[in-house]
Amino acid sequence: MLKISNLHASVEDKKILKGIDLQVNAGEVHAIMGPNGSGKSTLAQVLAGRDAYEVTEGSVEFLGQDLLEMAPEERAREGLFLAFQYPVEIPGVSNAYFLRSAVNAVRKHRGEPELDAIQFGKYIREKMKLLDLDPSLLNRSVNEGFSGGEKKRNEIFHMAVMEPKLCVLDETDSGLDIDALKIVADGVNALRSPDRGILVVTHYQRLLNYIVPDFVHVLVDGRIVKSGDKNLALELEEKGYGWLEAEAAARA
Amino acid sequence: MALALDSRTPFQKLYRFDAGAPWERLRRTAAEFFESVGVPGTKNEEWRFTSLREFAEHEFAPAQPRDWDGRFGSADPIVVQDALRLVVVDGVFRPDASSPDIPAGLTVGSWSQTKDDPAWRRFGSTVQVDRHPFAALNTACFSEPILVHAAPGATIERPIHLAFVSQRSDAASAVFPRVLVVVGENAEVKILETHSGDGTYFTAPVTEVFVDQNGRLEHTKVQQDSLDAFHIGHVRATQEAGSVYASNAVSFGARLSRNDIDIWLGGEHTETWLNGAYMAFGEQLTDNHTRLDHAMPNCHSFQVYKGILGGAGAGVFNGKIYVHPDAQKTDAKQTNKALLLSPQATINTKPQLEIFADDVKCTHGATVGQLEADSLFYLRSRGIGLAEAQAILTYAFLAEVLEKISLEEVRTALERVVFRQVAKVEPMPEE
Repeated sequence: MLKISNLHASVEDKKILKGIDLQVNAGEVHAIMGPNGSGKSTLAQVLAGRDAYEVTEGSVEFLGQDLLEMAPEERAREGLFLAFQYPVEIPGVSNAYFLRSAVNAVRKHRGEPELDAIQFGKYIREKMKLLDLDPSLLNRSVNEGFSGGEKKRNEIFHMAVMEPKLCVLDETDSGLDIDALKIVADGVNALRSPDRGILVVTHYQRLLNYIVPDFVHVLVDGRIVKSGDKNLALELEEKGYGWLEAEAAARA
Repeated sequence: MALALDSRTPFQKLYRFDAGAPWERLRRTAAEFFESVGVPGTKNEEWRFTSLREFAEHEFAPAQPRDWDGRFGSADPIVVQDALRLVVVDGVFRPDASSPDIPAGLTVGSWSQTKDDPAWRRFGSTVQVDRHPFAALNTACFSEPILVHAAPGATIERPIHLAFVSQRSDAASAVFPRVLVVVGENAEVKILETHSGDGTYFTAPVTEVFVDQNGRLEHTKVQQDSLDAFHIGHVRATQEAGSVYASNAVSFGARLSRNDIDIWLGGEHTETWLNGAYMAFGEQLTDNHTRLDHAMPNCHSFQVYKGILGGAGAGVFNGKIYVHPDAQKTDAKQTNKALLLSPQATINTKPQLEIFADDVKCTHGATVGQLEADSLFYLRSRGIGLAEAQAILTYAFLAEVLEKISLEEVRTALERVVFRQVAKVEPMPEE
């Protein structure tokens, strides 16, 4: 589904990603872990098409297409979804209007008829139950005045509504208390399916107790220095990142 | 009756000197003043960014009374179903098109219908013609003023809609709508004032407002004049103790539009809301000048003006807050934000705080800019295309001000106008 080869990216001439290789197949859950500044969030943003980052080398194939050639909206329409670490507040635009525009943009791209307000309302209410969200949230401006937890839940809600093929979650656990973390994890787990790939970017192992990954990769200084199964995450929880950082430094 | 002075302006034909009318002296003073200053040029500080050169090339004729075709000009009409409506077409009040049944506690109508009402005694007493040349011109030229008077204690549930319409004519015409609003003690009123039309014309409306002790007025002025029209308007409001005045000033139309709102806070514990939303596209210029006189202690004012400027559109904002020496505990907030959608669009913005009291809270902030990259990326990452994402965010920028209008039908109609306008805008190229 997703094949990242030798990906290099920089921001304002500062090299952040220094040769990432990673393959995510349908049905798999991958976790990317790493210390602060290792490039985890950059990887997520580059996949979604943020133009602040410049890809200097390498390639990314998504469902057989060159992902890097596509505009951010085209990536989303093809089925890539990024749950933001810092969801943006948009005063004056209701959640419902925003989501209908998004869903209809995808449907139009697929050649499906667009949903009117009533059809969409029916569809969306079912999805809300999944995340235990207050229906009044639909009429509120996107993320405006939301608490940290509400913003993250709203991201997972958007993800559930858009039914992407590949979900990328950027530090979705940051700033969540344990109850909110469980709700978010339940929402993600409900989306696990044999047709869908999930890439979870996180600093802490905590989230992976609830979203159990098939593969864990450790990113240090822009490179994946170690890959393993869920036990690698537990090992990191115990030993920290220091030993891997030391190893990476020794190799460089 | 001939005017006893040499006119050096092209407006002499428009002066009206109806002998015996109660405003005969007002008119004469105003005409003399206008003749002495003429059309202001850009050397006049108050008109520095708004050139009237093109305007002054026109010779405007008095509007000719004609049949009304029932249309509200090129703009979509704003219809408020349960409003009491008064229609003025080409400067002439149309009782046939106006609502007949007037609730108790309210006097509305033209001068000839309401001349016995004591509120008329206040007419013209607060408009400062020496500060506003076009208010002077209005005073010299208006035909028949309109009165809205709510008696003390009256809560008028139905909004009052004053609709001023200019029809297309062969010669460019001039109209001078004149309104007196008196909201009595503890009375509550909502007024919608709309301006619209077709073709080339000039309108210089003046609305004089009194909100007496503990009175409440929401005054929404919507300017959707023809894109070939000139609109130079003035609102003068005086608030007494404990009163609330909310002004929603919307300027979407006209080739050139200028709106001067002056508010005098003459009693303690008043609340004033100044909400402004404007758009200028193509060759449009829209200029908003506001002046708030905090003359008494403990008064609060909140001002938010937002504009979107595209094509070669130009915006001017000048917000003066004058805090007099006695006005301790003043709390005044002013925000002005403009969004520039094209490289040719311009805005000149000037907050002017003049504070002569020491125990006050005054804040102001002005921002001019483009849409935020983070917001655009967020929308696009959800599949929404660049052009649509820009339109949604531009719309949202202005909708935040329109949300302050309590009349839902007005708000919805205006939001539709904004949405249609921003959907037409060429997307800005990505950086």
